[in-house]
Amino acid sequence: MENRITLVGNYGNMLRETQTSSNDYLIKQLPVSTAFVDKKLKIIHASAKWITDFDFINRDIIGLSLSELFGDISKSWKKDLNSIIKGKALLSGVENFYDSQNNEKWFEWVNVPWYDDQENIIGVIIQTKDITDTIFDDVKLEKLEILLKDKSIISKIGGWEYDAVKDKLSWCKITKKLHEVPEDFEPDLESGINFYKEGYSRNTIAMAVDNAMTKGLTWKETLKLITAKGKEISVIATGKPVFKNEKFLGLIGTFKDITDEVLTKAKTEEQERIFSSIFNSSYQFTGILDTEGTFLEINDTALQFSDLKQEDIINKKFWDAYWWPIPDMVKEGLKQVVAAAAQGEFMRSEIVVLDKNKQPIPVDFSLKPIYNEDGRVVSLLAEGRMIKEMVEARQKLKISEKKFRSLYELSPIAYILSDFETGEILDYNSSFEKATAYGKEDVANLKYSDLVPDSSKHKLINFLREVDLKGTYGPFEHMFRKKDGTTYPVLISGSLVGNKKGRKLLWSTAQDISEVRKKEKQIRDEQKLLKTLIDNLPLNVYIKDLESRKVLVNKAELKYCGFKDESEVLGKNDFDFYDEKSALISREEDLSVINSLNPILGKETISVKKDGSLTKFMSSKIPLIGPDGKASGLIGISMDISDLKQQEQELRDLINVTSIQNKQLINFAHIVSHNLRSHTANFSMLLEFLVDEKDEREQENLIKMLTEASDNLLETLDNLNEVVAISTNVNLDKKPVNLNEKIVAAEKNLAAFLKKNNAKIINKIPDDTFIKVIPAYIDSILMNFITNSVKYKDDSRDPVIKLSVCKNEHYTVLSIEDNGLGIDLNKYGEKLFGMYKTFHDNSDARGIGLYITKNQVEAMNGKIMACSEVGKGTTFNIYFNDKN
Amino acid sequence: MTKIKSIAIIDDDPITVFGIKRMLSTLNVSENIKSYVNGKEAIDDFKSLMNHKAEIPEVIFLDINMPIMDGWQFLEEFITLPITHKIRINILTSSIDPADRENWKYYMTKTHHIIDYKNKPIQKKEIEEITKAA
Repeated sequence: MENRITLVGNYGNMLRETQTSSNDYLIKQLPVSTAFVDKKLKIIHASAKWITDFDFINRDIIGLSLSELFGDISKSWKKDLNSIIKGKALLSGVENFYDSQNNEKWFEWVNVPWYDDQENIIGVIIQTKDITDTIFDDVKLEKLEILLKDKSIISKIGGWEYDAVKDKLSWCKITKKLHEVPEDFEPDLESGINFYKEGYSRNTIAMAVDNAMTKGLTWKETLKLITAKGKEISVIATGKPVFKNEKFLGLIGTFKDITDEVLTKAKTEEQERIFSSIFNSSYQFTGILDTEGTFLEINDTALQFSDLKQEDIINKKFWDAYWWPIPDMVKEGLKQVVAAAAQGEFMRSEIVVLDKNKQPIPVDFSLKPIYNEDGRVVSLLAEGRMIKEMVEARQKLKISEKKFRSLYELSPIAYILSDFETGEILDYNSSFEKATAYGKEDVANLKYSDLVPDSSKHKLINFLREVDLKGTYGPFEHMFRKKDGTTYPVLISGSLVGNKKGRKLLWSTAQDISEVRKKEKQIRDEQKLLKTLIDNLPLNVYIKDLESRKVLVNKAELKYCGFKDESEVLGKNDFDFYDEKSALISREEDLSVINSLNPILGKETISVKKDGSLTKFMSSKIPLIGPDGKASGLIGISMDISDLKQQEQELRDLINVTSIQNKQLINFAHIVSHNLRSHTANFSMLLEFLVDEKDEREQENLIKMLTEASDNLLETLDNLNEVVAISTNVNLDKKPVNLNEKIVAAEKNLAAFLKKNNAKIINKIPDDTFIKVIPAYIDSILMNFITNSVKYKDDSRDPVIKLSVCKNEHYTVLSIEDNGLGIDLNKYGEKLFGMYKTFHDNSDARGIGLYITKNQVEAMNGKIMACSEVGKGTTFNIYFNDKN
Repeated sequence: MTKIKSIAIIDDDPITVFGIKRMLSTLNVSENIKSYVNGKEAIDDFKSLMNHKAEIPEVIFLDINMPIMDGWQFLEEFITLPITHKIRINILTSSIDPADRENWKYYMTKTHHIIDYKNKPIQKKEIEEITKAA
């Protein structure tokens, strides 16, 4: 401490204005190693750190010169210090030294001039920084740089160091791994070298190490090592000598395993081989020529094609090759081709070569110049591709073109080729000529618009606009003008095509549809005829689909359904028109026809419409069979037979009446015959008696009886006349007659008779009751019944006759009820209305009245029913038919 | 010729009845000839005769068409009468209705009595043939 103060004191004039003690104190505290030296390089001040850094703790260094402290300082440092003293500012450098333990220390120094307050340089301020660690880090960094230079996987780069002073070789872990030695393996220089493969590798490394040690040369060699396990690996070995003060300290270096890269290189060679095989096995003929046309390479394809060997071609001239068909002629041409290619032209043409069987084969041949880096043609690549298929395809194309041409000419459709822009017609086929009478000679003078009559030119403009937009147009119906100016309908369409020169061409087709139009008209006419026919048939005709919906109806059906417009009926089914029961039956019929395909023919059906009206039909349903053999619907034909049925019923009724009348006639004939016979029998018998009778009195008696018989005969004939009159008057006209008026008239006529018998008539018939009768008959009928009622009265009571009337469906029924004797209908029912049948002992019963009455009622299409109880009375119900 | 105990004529025509009676009288076959104007009179009388144990006629001349009860209705009832011996019934009619002939055939099968069928006029000779006890 004392020394320092002394020292400071020695430089008191420099630090005059500061407390020396405090200056010294501050300097000692400096965080940076700092020493102050005077011009003679003697230490004046030193920071504690400086003292520690340089290991001067145990020495008093103040006043000692740098040379005394560090031994010989390097010349460069000394020079630097002196130049600072002379006024150069800020110099720095790096120095090393060995400390007390003989450890190498490196430090970086920065020297600045030390000024006094007069700006005079009085010394140097030396700042030092211990960079021993940094230096060694630098060495490491350098190693790392070497390692990284080889752009490979870091893990495969190993390092090593050789300390010449200690003669010690150190391998890092990776290096040991490379050599496949255990981690505790301790190599030395000799053993290290011996790992290199004997021969080139070992010699090279031995030389490199020697050169490094003696001449300070570095090395970097690709060498082979044999690992401890005997594996051969390739490495890049680097090494660098380390010198200090021209003294060789050791070596540092790296290993990099490049075995994989070597393998990769081998792979590349393999690839070359593969290329070569591709070259040889390519489908193309490939050869390489020099610029003079001499073969350098030829692939196997070319050789095999011509059945040649490598030596037949290589080093021979291209044009001398076997495969040229007529060598002499082709030769010159080929020479020129080669010359042109050698000048850098790409030559290509289609040629024919001969295969090994002398067969000509078309080839797409090319000769391509190959340039080197300088852009000079160095060789020529000759390639030939067999184009047999292509040529064949072209041939086919030609054929199909020909076919198209003939199709074009033969087509019944007119084809027209025109220039889209100008409208000029360029070509057309014979069909067009036939249709329009234009000839080939007209092509030049025709424009597309000439084909279109003026009236439809505006349409043409639309077509052209469309084709320009879409590339196609049509088909449209259109008119075309023939050469003679007449027109015909066509269906035209077209499309735009471009030719090679970019000209827009329009292909149009025009199908003559005049025949089609004619046929269409014919079909329309036929349809109209059919429609007229169907509509005017006196039959209901309809077509139904599978759902029984009507898809066609004729007028009769429409009318029956109650509509005027078809649309009101079409699409509807029977449920829309008929009551449910009729509709259900109809639907079942439809289904049976559709499913079985068996038609229903002439079936009598009854259809009840929704309004309740009933129609009898004779209907047929016929399946409509589609192309698939299944029903697609059905045709229905029905005939309204209501009237027919009515007539049939009437006819049947008439037959019944007739047959009844016929029976009655036979019966009548028998009655007549019986009655006449009985009288004639009496005559013949009485006359026979008379002839033989002698007695006058008896004769008179017989004559009297004959007269009686004659009277009886006359009476019988009268009765018969009456009956015959009724039977022959069947056709008398019926008239509506007020029933009560007739009853009143009858009562008047019978007034005396009724009064005599004390008879009473109770009439309950409304005055407005009219019946349709033959007037004469109703008089007779009323008289007869009223008379009978009184005639066969029960003597125990006065006769009462009740008259009443009621209506039923077709008849007005007159009831005549009496309180007379009554008739046992079980016994006499059958004979009640028989001729000459009497049932009571009345002497004036003739058995003719009811017979005639019945005949009269039946003649008016009526009938009589009777009910009776003996002792109570009889009721006759007389049915007057309301119709004719 | 054996005489017949009694004969009945059922006919509503008095001339016919007269004629038959006169022919029968000339033939002199029976002293006892009765006549009825319809079937009902006859059947009623026959029933009464049977009730009195009297004999009913052995031969009956029967007309068909008669009021109240005709020939067929008479037959219908007659064949039900408990008469064990055979009666001869001669149907005598001017009807040529085939239905009547059918009826005759029907009744022939229904009874043990003899039923004959003749058309008027009848001859004396025929009367003789059919007027005999069955």
